[in-house]
Amino acid sequence: MARTAIGCEPLVGSLTPSKKREYRVTNKLQEGKRPLYAVVFNFIDSRYFNVFATVGGNRVTVYQCLEGGVIAALQSYVDEDKEESFYTVSWACNVDGIPFLVAGGINGIIRVIDVSNEKLHKSFVGHGDSINEIRTQPLKPSLVVSASKDESVRLWNVQTGICILIFAGAGGHRNEVLSVDFHPSDIYRIASCGMDNTVKIWSMKEFWTYVEKSFTWTDLPSKFPTKYVQFPVFIASVHSNYVDCNRWLGDFILSKVKLSVDNEIVLWEPKMKEQSPGEGTADILQKYPVPECDIWFIKFSCDFHYNAAAIGNREGKIFVWELQSSPPVLIARLSHAQSKSPIRQTAMSYDGSTILSCCEDGAIWRWDAIPT
Amino acid sequence: MVSRASDSSSKSRQSNDGLGNLTYKLNQLKKQVQAERVVSVKDKIEKNRKKIENDISQLLSTTSRKSVIFAMDNGFGNMPLCKYSGFPQGLGDRDYVNSHEVVLSTSSKLSHVQKIPPYTTWIFLDKNQRMAEDQSVVGRRRIYYDQHGSEALVCSDSEEDIIEPEEEKHEFSDGEDRILWTVFEEHGLGEEVINAVSQFIGIATSEVQDRYSTLKEKYDGKNLKEFEDAGHERGIALEKSLSAALDSFDNLFCRRCLLFDCRLHGCSQTLINPSEKQPYWSEYEDDRKPCSNHCYLQAFSLSLSLSAAVQDTVEGSAGNISSIITNTEGTLLHCNAEVPGAHSDIMAGERCNSKRVLPVTSEAVDSSEVAIGNENTDTSMQSLGKRKALELNDSVKVFDEIEESLNKKQKKLLPLDVLTASSDGIPRPDTKSGHHVGAINDNELQMTSKNTIKKSVSAKVVSHNNIEHNIMDGAKDVNKEPEMKQSFSKGELPEGVLCSSEWKPIEKELYLKGVEIFGRNSCLIARNLLSGLKTCMEVSTYMRDSSSSMPHKSVAPSSFLEETVKVDTDYAEQEMPARPRLLRRRGRARKLKYSWKSAGHPSIWKRIADGKNQSCKQYTPCGCQSMCGKQCPCLHNGTCCEKYCGCSKSCKNRFRGCHCAKSQCRSRQCPCFAAGRECDPDVCRNCWVSCGDGSLGEPPKRGDGQCGNMRLLLRQQQRILLAKSDVAGWGAFLKNSVSKNDYLGEYTGELISHREADKRGKIYDRANSSFLFDLNDQYVLDAYRKGDKLKFANHSSNPNCFAKVMLVAGDHRVGIFAKEHIEASEELFYDYRYGPDQAPAWARKPEGSKREDSSVSQGRAKKHQSH
Repeated sequence: MARTAIGCEPLVGSLTPSKKREYRVTNKLQEGKRPLYAVVFNFIDSRYFNVFATVGGNRVTVYQCLEGGVIAALQSYVDEDKEESFYTVSWACNVDGIPFLVAGGINGIIRVIDVSNEKLHKSFVGHGDSINEIRTQPLKPSLVVSASKDESVRLWNVQTGICILIFAGAGGHRNEVLSVDFHPSDIYRIASCGMDNTVKIWSMKEFWTYVEKSFTWTDLPSKFPTKYVQFPVFIASVHSNYVDCNRWLGDFILSKVKLSVDNEIVLWEPKMKEQSPGEGTADILQKYPVPECDIWFIKFSCDFHYNAAAIGNREGKIFVWELQSSPPVLIARLSHAQSKSPIRQTAMSYDGSTILSCCEDGAIWRWDAIPT
Repeated sequence: MVSRASDSSSKSRQSNDGLGNLTYKLNQLKKQVQAERVVSVKDKIEKNRKKIENDISQLLSTTSRKSVIFAMDNGFGNMPLCKYSGFPQGLGDRDYVNSHEVVLSTSSKLSHVQKIPPYTTWIFLDKNQRMAEDQSVVGRRRIYYDQHGSEALVCSDSEEDIIEPEEEKHEFSDGEDRILWTVFEEHGLGEEVINAVSQFIGIATSEVQDRYSTLKEKYDGKNLKEFEDAGHERGIALEKSLSAALDSFDNLFCRRCLLFDCRLHGCSQTLINPSEKQPYWSEYEDDRKPCSNHCYLQAFSLSLSLSAAVQDTVEGSAGNISSIITNTEGTLLHCNAEVPGAHSDIMAGERCNSKRVLPVTSEAVDSSEVAIGNENTDTSMQSLGKRKALELNDSVKVFDEIEESLNKKQKKLLPLDVLTASSDGIPRPDTKSGHHVGAINDNELQMTSKNTIKKSVSAKVVSHNNIEHNIMDGAKDVNKEPEMKQSFSKGELPEGVLCSSEWKPIEKELYLKGVEIFGRNSCLIARNLLSGLKTCMEVSTYMRDSSSSMPHKSVAPSSFLEETVKVDTDYAEQEMPARPRLLRRRGRARKLKYSWKSAGHPSIWKRIADGKNQSCKQYTPCGCQSMCGKQCPCLHNGTCCEKYCGCSKSCKNRFRGCHCAKSQCRSRQCPCFAAGRECDPDVCRNCWVSCGDGSLGEPPKRGDGQCGNMRLLLRQQQRILLAKSDVAGWGAFLKNSVSKNDYLGEYTGELISHREADKRGKIYDRANSSFLFDLNDQYVLDAYRKGDKLKFANHSSNPNCFAKVMLVAGDHRVGIFAKEHIEASEELFYDYRYGPDQAPAWARKPEGSKREDSSVSQGRAKKHQSH
């Protein structure tokens, strides 16, 4: 990428921790030897804000964070196919508020688990290749999107098991889609990114009738008139390498970009060009460096209020960034002598006081903020 | 701009300090810009924070509204499976952590679900598309994920072709613009200054200069530009000249597919005008039926009765008026009876008018007259809106309404200014009334002559007006004369004079085109080119007037008409060149986007097309006039001339189609079939397309049976099913059984160049699935992201289908045909026909099963294999 023009420089955060908040290890679990790819708190139902789920191999496990560093294992699910390797998991619920877990991985099959009766609710077959991320629409938690290696993003209704929309085609991704996220307030908007170095913003506004139809559909899900959304409203090829995680921060986007050795999270503002819809530029506002994070598939997480983001790296360290200060401030850098394995994903609790990390070696670390 | 005062004070000093000061100044400016950037980012983040707070409170409410109680009190499970105690105080960096092994006794099973074979999401195409430029993979890095390692691999194709970094134009940021502007405004455009600035920003001096001039333009002519933009936004309007409108038509309309924005042939194709024109579509005027109520033929029959009426009116017998009106009315109604179902709006309006006159004469109240005038415009508007919906019943209803409104509106006198406002742009009353007399005189003169049909129509209108005048005179309301007349002329049958002055440039040009196409046939011109704009009668008047204004036919006396026409044409000539510029620019931009002038790639296709399997040649229409000579690109390229070429039909290089009578063109006896072409009903003598039993007037049957060699063109395909293959991955299956040589469907995809295909081929080889298909010397079909179900038909060395490239209306297309009888729901296979050394391992024939590889007919297509 070319040199930044004068007057467009981003504010880069300093790697010196502010020590605003300090975290200490309060527990460590070892879940077999297979890598754990995802850990996620339930932000869908306020009664279960302390419940989290992990996936790794063919296993999905549900835990609860209790006082004093205690972790309780609540439920466990095992896919009968030993070859399955789950990459991602997300909390959702049906229209009655019964919590669901939605997981997907190498097989490309989305598993929807009803955790209230510990049964498989539905399995969605349709993706042509492995699933890299699943996210839930927070305003309508029966809707989930999945990002897949088959170059598509799909919108599903977990209640009825319908694939409503497929975001792919003429303006779609040209390689694996690695990450996708719902806009926090604009219910129609999603952002996806992937191996083709682009971030695409899609709108389903014109297709919303299909979304509504999916709730009342009584016929077979396969007979639903699934629509293709071929053109995103915005394409930004701001990055010169793959983007493996992106999240909305208000109307801005946080995306994690691979650099040569270090990676960084970039906060940018999408700017549409008036004349040519679809084309756009990104105004990079801030950068949050993440050292030694040059491997593929490391995702960051935010607390419920988007005050902070936590991201692990290849060396087992965690960087906690204050997201909404300008310039960015590093809250803390978490490290432990025994934590050496790459951290694939972190999970920040509702208020950010607990940080969980899941590692390549199958370990789950719990860090708690020390009251000051 | 900040601190203007200090800037100007430094200006006086700068001549002494020279460059040192300039650098200082630049740095100062840069710091300033950067400081402002920091502030603006902070502002943005702060604003965004407020928004997030808002969003979060909304989200929080959605999480807490769930009041479902489900079986467990504790949330998940009555009892946790296991509890792992932690370290409440937390551990330091170096403290040893004892990890808990999670071994859960009970876990629910997720039952097995059948996986589907992998595929990349693809879009269905029923027709090939040319690759859009942004889809190219040439010169782009491709990243792969290595399943075995944990790291993504980067695969760049930089080893072979130097990625020419396109000399991208520097995008100037607002900050840079500011620096540029401030410095140049203060220090002038000296060479030193330019050099210093370009060095400072780090771009070429020429770009700096360019940018400065753009900025200057922007600041100076800001308003002007906005105005221009606003004009640009407008769609094709009637104000535009025809050539301007045609410009976008020429650029966007595909003459081969007959649609706009063709994805196969692209925009901005070279325009080819056929060298021989079709003769006019001429019919004998005598046995022609009137095309509508406004046909000039219709007017001709009207004129007789009307002329009588006019004379009567001129004589001014007040008692007769009503009867005359009923007369005219009768004629009009009579006309309607003659041409049922062809009620036109104006006609209906007219009928109302003539009816309305009756109450006026009987009542003769001033105020009601105004009301009529008002009502007239109203009803005519109504009738315009309703178009042909106004039938007899309706008009009766309107009549009732009028009566009603008459009663009501006696109190509500409509203000005069409303009426005048509604009649903008109509010639001043004095000119008009002057012309009236002329018109009536004309009318008297020409009454006997049969040529003056249109004139008498206008006279008819005048007669109406005259009737009005008479009434009004009787009612001592002289002031209202012009208003009444105007309101009439607006809603009424347009008069010849008034209309000719309203011919917009585009209408005139359309008319000229019409003469070019149809000859002097006003019915066809009005119906086909000016429908909704001008009636046949108007066209015919215009035709007569314009021809009379030509020197050799100057017989007509109406000098006024001549003048207006002339003025208008002058106006048109002035208008024309000014507008298309914008449009043309737009067309060019499109061209960039869809540029399809892919230069040949001889070195690559030779590699593929070597041996005796000669690859087909891409056809591009030539623009030769009359006969094609040595310069003809078709001849040069080795393709036949087709119907899309400019050359004459008798061109020696033309493919002449077939004359097959009974064979139905299904064998090599048919020249089309033998040449790997589908028959074309435009070219072949006996090949026709049936679309009914003849009751709809389609062309008569020409051969014995229907041609069997137009199956791609007519999409006479079989239903293909997609399912898991019995062999590998996905497979294509047949719904119904077919017999040998039946056409199954088309293999569609993106048309890409061979160079692109080689690049993509490498990518696809890694994924071990390729959907590339050699089409001709220029293009390869790629069905990877766009295609149809037949892309999933698998390879077999002993297949039941074969693929064949056919030339269909100038385009190469791949058809899949049955090689033998195939039962319903059987899987389809065809030989991908990889070259012996090109085939991937799985496609190689087992040893010993050497079939006659060389004897396969050369027309059969093969899959593309990259090198």
